[in-house]
Amino acid sequence: MPFDLTPYLPFLIPLAVIEVGLTIASLIHVLTHKTYRTGNRVLWVVLSFVQIIGPVLYFIIGRDDGGKD
Amino acid sequence: MRAYLAFTKKEFTENWRTYKLPILLVVFLLFGMMSPLLAKLTPELLKSLSDTGGVVITLPEPTAMDAWAQFFKNVGQMGMLAIIIVFSGLMATEFSKGTLVNMLTKGMKRHTVVLSKLTAATVIWTVSFLLCLAVSYAYTAYFWDMGTLHYAFLSFFSLWLFGEFLISLLIFGGILFKSLMGSLLFCGGVIVAMTILNIIPNITRYNPSSLSGATLELLNGQKGLSEFMPAFVICAVLIIVFSAASITLFNKKQI
Repeated sequence: MPFDLTPYLPFLIPLAVIEVGLTIASLIHVLTHKTYRTGNRVLWVVLSFVQIIGPVLYFIIGRDDGGKD
Repeated sequence: MRAYLAFTKKEFTENWRTYKLPILLVVFLLFGMMSPLLAKLTPELLKSLSDTGGVVITLPEPTAMDAWAQFFKNVGQMGMLAIIIVFSGLMATEFSKGTLVNMLTKGMKRHTVVLSKLTAATVIWTVSFLLCLAVSYAYTAYFWDMGTLHYAFLSFFSLWLFGEFLISLLIFGGILFKSLMGSLLFCGGVIVAMTILNIIPNITRYNPSSLSGATLELLNGQKGLSEFMPAFVICAVLIIVFSAASITLFNKKQI
């Protein structure tokens, strides 16, 4: 018997929207910036697809402030 | 007062542009959705497990209280971790970048800095927490009969109060050690100390750490209000003490 997803749709739709949104946001940020505080471009592009934790990690520890130091 | 408002506004702009505010909102939104979802899915997962393995596990239908148990577990552990990570650089980045020097030499009072940071962090934490609570409440009410919630306000307030306690610890640690690591280690050290203190019997009543999670027993009526009141009072006093100590310390600190 296939698993019936219908009762979970109220969860799954917003969850999917948030996850896809986060991935897109972090992908855009990774690809439009040259320097990162930690890691490199390949690492962050791959991690952007690791749901929830990847994009959040990028914005907290990977993203460069853009300072000129 | 004008300096306070301006600096607080600067704090919000900074938190928005460094993606701290959006990230915290998204993370707490997810926590709010996850809690009822996990409560609803766990029996299903175990059922599908028992179908294949031949082990028969009978579980009671999940109730609203299971969803709240998940809520207290998620926010009390992962949520607090998120707060610590996001707010750990609150004071340290100002020290390491030297951005305070200009404003303080132009005559801004030092206590304004601490109070503004405290205000901004408090507002951000409150909004995130309320969002998480609202989402969780909406899903829980949608799936289950809510039943009776005992001391609903105080049980949820306890989580908020503990988060506030962490923020005051992070600011104090940040000023004391002037570094991100110092802030993290100070906050972590206090949490570890409180956890170790819990070994002593009967001290949980007075330990602020019982406010993060253990107040579920207040919500489902297993324990009375008197069991947690000392912890509430001590936690509130500690927040005020650490905030006041932060200001005193910051006044003497070399930027």
